[in-house]
Amino acid sequence: MSETTFMGVTRAKIPWAPVIDYEKCTFCLECDKFCPHKVYEVNREERRLVVAHPEHCVVFCRACSKTCGPDALSFPNKTEVTDLIKRLRKEEGA
Amino acid sequence: MMKRWGILPCNGLDKPAGQLAREIALYLAQDQAKTLACPVFLHSAPSVYAKVKEETQWLVLDGCNTRCASKLAAEAGFAVGKKINVSELTEKENLKLGRSLRLEPEALALAKRSALDLAAALFTARTDREEKTAAIPDGKGQTDSGVDFPASITYTEFRQDKFRFRVPQGEFFFNENDCWVWVQGQRARVGVSDYVQQSLSDIIFFSAPELGAEVEQFGVLGSLESSKAVFEVIAPVAGKVVAVNEELEGSPERVNENPYEQGWIAEVELTDWETDRELLLDAGQYLEYLKNKVADFHV
Ligand code: SF4
Ligand code: SF4
Repeated sequence: MSETTFMGVTRAKIPWAPVIDYEKCTFCLECDKFCPHKVYEVNREERRLVVAHPEHCVVFCRACSKTCGPDALSFPNKTEVTDLIKRLRKEEGA
Repeated sequence: MMKRWGILPCNGLDKPAGQLAREIALYLAQDQAKTLACPVFLHSAPSVYAKVKEETQWLVLDGCNTRCASKLAAEAGFAVGKKINVSELTEKENLKLGRSLRLEPEALALAKRSALDLAAALFTARTDREEKTAAIPDGKGQTDSGVDFPASITYTEFRQDKFRFRVPQGEFFFNENDCWVWVQGQRARVGVSDYVQQSLSDIIFFSAPELGAEVEQFGVLGSLESSKAVFEVIAPVAGKVVAVNEELEGSPERVNENPYEQGWIAEVELTDWETDRELLLDAGQYLEYLKNKVADFHV
């Protein structure tokens, strides 16, 4: 139950993290301010927000997207990710 | 006493979605004779609204996910009876607002339509509630439920700083998204854990899942909202929504008081409990998980 597994599966194998649409992102940083999990990093010089630590993102959480005015954040498909987790659990023998 | 409805829109001057929120508010205020609160005035002089606040439940109109109007409602202690997010509305209606601050005829038509729908919804919300109160002799409100949920629960507790976290003992199971399920036969009750209510702090709005909806495991079973955030309730089990805790609609603070008892969220008819169970933690495992998580809990 450490930070590196989710439901008994190695976290790094689960593709769950926000995806930023840079066409829409206004660099307001509300999402970064909101999330306590150090998923994002701010590149001030280029005024660009990056998903630097996708593996810190809580699987199935989408909370930061609810703070994004221009609706620039999206997430993978939950059903597909759940199926993948089930498959990986079998493989990893959890 | 039944509270009347008032409208609190976002100020929305500088964005098309905000303009649409204002437009809907105007229709409701002018044509439906609803009280309108000016968000800027409320922010700078809240005492002006002190009296009307007590007599009113509010329809909050957010323009976008910045949720200025919702945050303001929380700050001002307004009772939120209903809310909509205009960006979600335009998405649902497939309407592109463009960049101009002057709304196109289609957008104006949508504003008018939504205002009429909302006016109708506010009207039924009122009659529903009146009927409900009339039907309940002791006036306390008994939510229809199909399970024999334990009348008293024993908790394991721990503290972190000023926060207290309870985990119920017994037949409760959890997902790692801090939602619990309690199962009886084919039916299950679902809710959120203390972690959720502590990190949201004062919950001002509960958006219920739809009765009869089929949800998958890890799908969304409604949401809870505070001035800080919106939390999607992540279903620990798959099934059909057969009951929701209607008490939360008028009193979402019940989730803060106790998310395991009076603050439960919904009940579902299970699809495949045995399979769902494999991906859940029991109470002991969740307690350990929570302790680790809370060790870096900042509010
Ligand atoms: S909240 Fe949205 S617009 Fe603001 S920085 Fe994050 S992704 Fe960009
Ligand atoms: S989805 Fe949740 S955990 Fe992931 S970055 Fe957003 S707020 Fe943080």
